Formats: sequence, structure tokens, C-alpha cells
Amino acid sequence: MDTFTDNPYLIRALAAAALLGPLCALLGVFVTARRMAFFSDTIAHAALAGVALGFLLGFAEPTVPMVLFSLGVALAMFWLKENTELLTDTIMALLLSGSVALGVIILSALKGFRAQLHAYLFGDIQAVSDTELLFAAGMVAVLGCTLFWQLNGLALLTAQEDLAHVSGVRVRWLNYIFVGILTLTVSASIRLLGVMLVTALVVIPPAAARNVSRNLRQQIIGSILTGVGSGLGGVLLSYRLDFPAGPTIVMTAIGIFGLTLAAGRLRGRSAHAPAPQSLARNP
Amino acid sequence: MDCPHCKHHPREGAMAVEVKDLWLSFGEVPILRGVSLHIPAGQLVALIGPNGSGKTTLLRCLLGLQKPDRGTARLFGEADQARALRRVGYVPQRLAMDRSFTISVREFLALRVPETRGWFWQRRARTDEILARQLPDIGVLPLLDRPMSGLSGGQMQRVLIAYSLLGKPELLLLDEPTAGVDLPGEQTFYELIARVHKERRLTVVLVSHDLSMVYKHASWVYALNGVICCEGTPEHVMNAESLRHAYGIHVSPYQHHHHEGHPHGHVH
Repeated sequence: MDTFTDNPYLIRALAAAALLGPLCALLGVFVTARRMAFFSDTIAHAALAGVALGFLLGFAEPTVPMVLFSLGVALAMFWLKENTELLTDTIMALLLSGSVALGVIILSALKGFRAQLHAYLFGDIQAVSDTELLFAAGMVAVLGCTLFWQLNGLALLTAQEDLAHVSGVRVRWLNYIFVGILTLTVSASIRLLGVMLVTALVVIPPAAARNVSRNLRQQIIGSILTGVGSGLGGVLLSYRLDFPAGPTIVMTAIGIFGLTLAAGRLRGRSAHAPAPQSLARNP
Repeated sequence: MDCPHCKHHPREGAMAVEVKDLWLSFGEVPILRGVSLHIPAGQLVALIGPNGSGKTTLLRCLLGLQKPDRGTARLFGEADQARALRRVGYVPQRLAMDRSFTISVREFLALRVPETRGWFWQRRARTDEILARQLPDIGVLPLLDRPMSGLSGGQMQRVLIAYSLLGKPELLLLDEPTAGVDLPGEQTFYELIARVHKERRLTVVLVSHDLSMVYKHASWVYALNGVICCEGTPEHVMNAESLRHAYGIHVSPYQHHHHEGHPHGHVH
């Protein structure tokens, strides 16, 4: 490792990946179990329109319009679901493609933003500034604590909403909180992975952990570790090999997924053999 | 509307459930058309009726999962529903747990006990110790390590009962608890409910399709079909004439505009 500490870009990129990777991964455990992966993808793509609108309105740093627009799309999704007969899939596809189309039209009309478009589509981890990093750290602390604080409620909500309600969980409120956290996390991570790939950081770590875990605690811990590992590993690999960072992070996550898949299969095969014995031991 | 032979439930002692003139429509389809009933504490009551008769809807109104158009549904005479729910255990119709959700039986049950709510940070032995002390003796201990998504229908219902009993309820509401359970499993399940009812002096309200089980275990039966068509002891309600009254006359117009689930869902 040569000029490791001399490279402030690399340090900032590693810090960003180490912060946002695990947050996405923790959130992802519930996103995948609640079948909200496509929802997360829609939120991410909505951010593109938010960014474009931000530039149009003269923002130099369009984070605020990006988050607001994503939240708006999430609300639109709720509204359409409750007030139309359309299927959720259809609504999401509509909002996703609509946001992308709007974003690309605005960005191409603005001229001189072609590089920006590329950065937002595929991520530009080198562009992470100190302020953004500080903001991300604060956000990860607050949102991560909120998720752990509401862990039981989220687990019940994922198991069954009616049962959660009867058990005293404020279902509607918690659903809004969850979508709010998801929107904030996804928009913050767009810097890293871009609109196109950000959902990978939400979906792949919990899936990788799922391969080798027997309960929720193992899956949460495994997912967080995968999130950290693929974030740090991906950034370092991209630096070494001179690959783009975002796609390298995703490929690292997929590599870990492949490993856990194989490990899970192997363990499953060996676990099948002694099963009758362990049954016999129990009276 | 009223069955001429019906006896009304004696209004004695504390009421666990009171429903007054409850109305609810889904769009144009009326489901509940002025349901009134009262269930004294300590009874094992069955709610029967054909598909689309509003059994599940009535239960959902009691639990605050559905807002009625008119009328009141109260538990323990309590106006504050959230407070009333703390004294209630609920066993849903079926819990289809997604396979990507890895929660184990231990973790699921831990969600219901104050001392184990920190299960994520707690040593497993500690969680087990607390659960073992509080769990009712209904055979879920050997299942603790299993993932919820891998349970059979009968095991799942057992775990759901255990979950609701861990909340130390005074009233247990069960919505078609044996849908998806095989026949011997069903029998054991109802015996379990009857036992729990007796041992813990629990009020039990059971929505059921299974008339023979209801006959055997219920102390009082309500036959519902948009309204309460008939109520009384099982012997009374289950005689041919009352059943025809409940199922026969009103059945056809509602089956066609059925909302929750398919009317032919039971044909396998």
C-alpha cells in the first residue's frame, strides 16, 4: 500500500463506504423481507429528477432538492396505491421511468451537465467532500440508532402488520419512518454508487447474509459485515485496478454473495447428514 | 331477522366484548348490517357464518384494524382502543412468512416479553431462560431454533398462540385459526384452546368454519350473516332449522360480491 495516507480522496471514499455500506445493509434486511427492493430502486431513480431540478433552479449542490423530490415520489406512491386500482408494480414502474425521463430531459436541456449526469447515474465517490462526509456520519448515527431502537417494531411489521398493530406497534407511523429512512439513506448513497446501482447496496448484503444465517440476528450482523466489506473492499480494489468505484463495490458484494451461497450449500449438505442423530438425542 | 327460537346471552358480570349496531360496507357491498352482541368475560364463544358473512370483518373492527361506518365495538368497555388491546391476544388467520425473512421462533416470541425485548443484544441462553419460564406448556420449546418461515401450519398456529399468551391476555381472539392445518392437527389445536381457556380463565372468541369443533368446545355460538341471525348454546344454534336460517336464506346474494378471499377457496 503506497501513498495510502497521502490520498485524501481515497480516505474520504473509504470513510463514505464504511459509513453508508452498513446502513444500507441493515436497512436492506427489512427492505428485502418486505419485498420493497423495487420501491428502493424507484426512490433512487426519482433522485435523478430531483438532481436535475436542483440544477435547473440554480443549486450548486442539489442534495436538498434530490432528497425532497425522492420523498415526494414516495408520497405519490402511497397516494396512488390508496386512491387507484393500479398494482404497486405498475405505479413504481411509472414513477421510476417518469423520473428518469424528466431528469435526462432537464439535464440535456441545461447543457454542460453531461458529466454530472454520468456522475449521478454511476456514482462519483472521488467527489465526496468533507462536508458531505460529516453530513453522512451524522445521518448514519441518527438513522442507525433509530433502526436499532425500532428493531422489534420493524420485525413485527415484517412478520405481519395486523399482529404488529394488536401488539401495540403504531403501524402507520412506523411505515412512514421506515420509508423516510430508506429515502434518506438511498439518496445519500447515490454519491457512492449512482442512481443505477445504489439498490445493490440495499439488496445484496442481506441476500448474502441470508445464505448462511439461521436467524434474524445472524442475518443482520452478516448483512452489516457484508456492507462494510464490500464498501471498503470495492473502494480499495477500484483504486488498485483503476476501475470505477461504484461498480467495483457492487461486484465485490456479488463476490461475497457467491461465497456465502457456496458456503451455505456446503453447510446445508453436511447439516443434513447428522440430523437423525440430533433428533434422537432430544427426548 | 331474529331467529324465533333464539335465547339471548344473559347479561351478567363484566363484559369482554360489546358490539352495538355495527354497520360497514366495502364500496357498495354491505358486510355488517347492524350487528349487536355482548360477550361476558370467561366464555368460549364461537362466531360462525358462511363466507362473506362478516366474521373476519367484525373481528377486525374489534381490533381497530377496520373502522366501522356506524356503531361501536368495544373491548372491556374501554373507549381507548389502544389500552384495551394491551389485554388482548390475537391469532391471525394465517401467517405467510416470507422465506427471505430469517426470524427464528425464539426471536419472534422474544418480541412479546418485556425482559427479552433486547434479544438482539442479549445472550441466547438468557433469552431462553426467560422464555422457558414464561412460555405456556404447549410444546413450542423444541421449536425455538427453527426459522418461522419453515414451520408447518400446525406448528405456526402453536407458536402464534404461545406469542399471544406471552402477552398475558384476558381475551383471546382467533380468526379461523385452523385454516391450513391438517385434520389431526386441527383437533389438537382446539383441545389446546379449550385447555388454555379453562386453565387461564380466558375469554376466547373464535371465528370458525368447523362446526363439529365448535359444537364440542364452545359455550355459546353466534351465527352471523351481515347481522346476528341466531345465537345460543351450540346445541341450539346447530340444530338444522337455525343453521338453515343462518346459512340458507342470506347466502346467495353475498357470495357473489365477496371481498376477502374467494368464495370457492375451500374446494381443493
